[in-house]
Amino acid sequence: MELLRILGEGLARNRLLAVILAGFALFPIYTGIADLPFWNDLAMRIMILGMAAMGLNLVLGYGGMVSFGHAAFVGIGAYAVGISQFYGLDNGWIHVLISLFACGVLGLVIGFLSLRTTGIYFIMITLAFAQMLYFLFVSLEQFGGDDGMSIDRADFMPIDLWEPLRLYYLIWVALLLTSLFLMVIVRSRFGVVLEAIRSNESRVEAMGLVPLRFKITGYVISAMICGLAGTMFASWQEYVSPDIMHWTRSGELMIIIILGGIGTLAGPLLGAVAFLLLEEWLPELMLLVAPAYAENWMIIFGPVLIAVVLFARGGLGGLIRRIAGGG
Amino acid sequence: MIAPVLSLEGLNKSYGALQATRDVSLDVVAGEIHALIGPNGAGKTTLVRQIYGSEAPDSGTVRLHGATVNHLSVPQRVRNGIGRSFQISNVLMEFTVLENAMVAEAARRGEAFRFLRPAFTDRGLRDGAMAILARVGIEARGKTRVADLAHGERRLLEFALALAGDPALLLLDEPMAGAGPEETRHMIEIIERLRGEVAILLIEHDMDAVFRLADRVTVLVEGAVIASGTPDAISGDAAVRAAYLGGDDDVEA
Repeated sequence: MELLRILGEGLARNRLLAVILAGFALFPIYTGIADLPFWNDLAMRIMILGMAAMGLNLVLGYGGMVSFGHAAFVGIGAYAVGISQFYGLDNGWIHVLISLFACGVLGLVIGFLSLRTTGIYFIMITLAFAQMLYFLFVSLEQFGGDDGMSIDRADFMPIDLWEPLRLYYLIWVALLLTSLFLMVIVRSRFGVVLEAIRSNESRVEAMGLVPLRFKITGYVISAMICGLAGTMFASWQEYVSPDIMHWTRSGELMIIIILGGIGTLAGPLLGAVAFLLLEEWLPELMLLVAPAYAENWMIIFGPVLIAVVLFARGGLGGLIRRIAGGG
Repeated sequence: MIAPVLSLEGLNKSYGALQATRDVSLDVVAGEIHALIGPNGAGKTTLVRQIYGSEAPDSGTVRLHGATVNHLSVPQRVRNGIGRSFQISNVLMEFTVLENAMVAEAARRGEAFRFLRPAFTDRGLRDGAMAILARVGIEARGKTRVADLAHGERRLLEFALALAGDPALLLLDEPMAGAGPEETRHMIEIIERLRGEVAILLIEHDMDAVFRLADRVTVLVEGAVIASGTPDAISGDAAVRAAYLGGDDDVEA
């Protein structure tokens, strides 16, 4: 009962998040009527990437820990599905549990080792751990090595995922639960202390709290959310390769967060929408304007990102809030 | 005999060839305001850091209520009764005044590691936070963001946060630094009001404030205690005059 009250109050304070979640829930109705099934596929990708970015945002935006290796956790989540299937474990719910557990343990170890450092050292250590995992999976020949491994759409009994919309709504529910979970904890005492640590770690110590305890907890939670996104990714793409863990993927997650609005709940989701739509449309636009350079759509994307960073404080989310007035 | 709130015994600390703390022993007893003075570079802040736990002494003991705390971390010492204000106001700049106090209140209650209920709308936390702010008289500024506060008010907030955990010992590192005459007067008033409630170790360059507030004064020069006693005894001490106050100058000027 109290949880419902907290959730209701939280959604009322985060209308932008509620609107986006509702938008994703209703989107297949539109694509169904307009007969644009391809867009469902894109929307699923947006939700998965948005979920991962939300996870990273807990440490990056709220906790001020610039982790440059979170794609590794997405990859571990996806490989948890592939490797489980390799050994004959087909149940999707168990995949999710394995992935959460693996990412939780890995997050604990990496967090414990790297969170003693700050600033550029922390960025480099998290990157190093991610690269280690990347090359580990490149070298694991039995799981496809560089070429990756194909994955059967997991069996989420009693939900039969062969109906494409079911996968869509499975991803949507995962995104919804992730959003609600984050919405609750960022407003809780834990979340407030995490932000206090970002603001001034030594004052938090002077209050008698141990910042490392809060930072590691945040790190583990964020790793597990990225792992969940990874399991969804595996079912969506039906394939996983080390590419998902490449450091540029970690960079993409950071770009998505900055684009949408760092340290806000809706920001990473908005960022994922914008990032993937630009990725979709800019090459087409380039094809019309300068066909020879269609592959180089990043030439446009770069300046857009710089403009957002320079002029739209708080990213797209901040822009929307200012346009909507106050809020 | 009741053990002093703070007791330092034979503290030494070197950075390479520089000995920042030389065989320092001193006591701060319950209810007193103990001023620590000395020229720039005398090692006052280094000493405070060793008491606070952010720096480990090379040798010597730090005791709190008679128990050795050398092995304790900063948060552990805070929970054992040390509050501190820093040379540069150390508060949560992006938070409001009330939010600062609410985080401190959650920490004081040992409730910081909770994940469900929203913190800033919690009535209990809010009431506790208001009481913390009322202690230094800035409860009316609760809704103001700290970044928008004047220097003096920020200093007061830091005082409030340092007091939030009901410390037995308050370490004040140059609380008057950068304050105007009006703010200094206000600060002296507040410290005066705390006399008897909490033992205070006060580092201060403003001699006027020191001699008005201190029950005892310890003088640190080049890391070593050269004199310790009542303000009267210190202002009359020839060694202090020679080493620190510069010959014939009147201490109380």
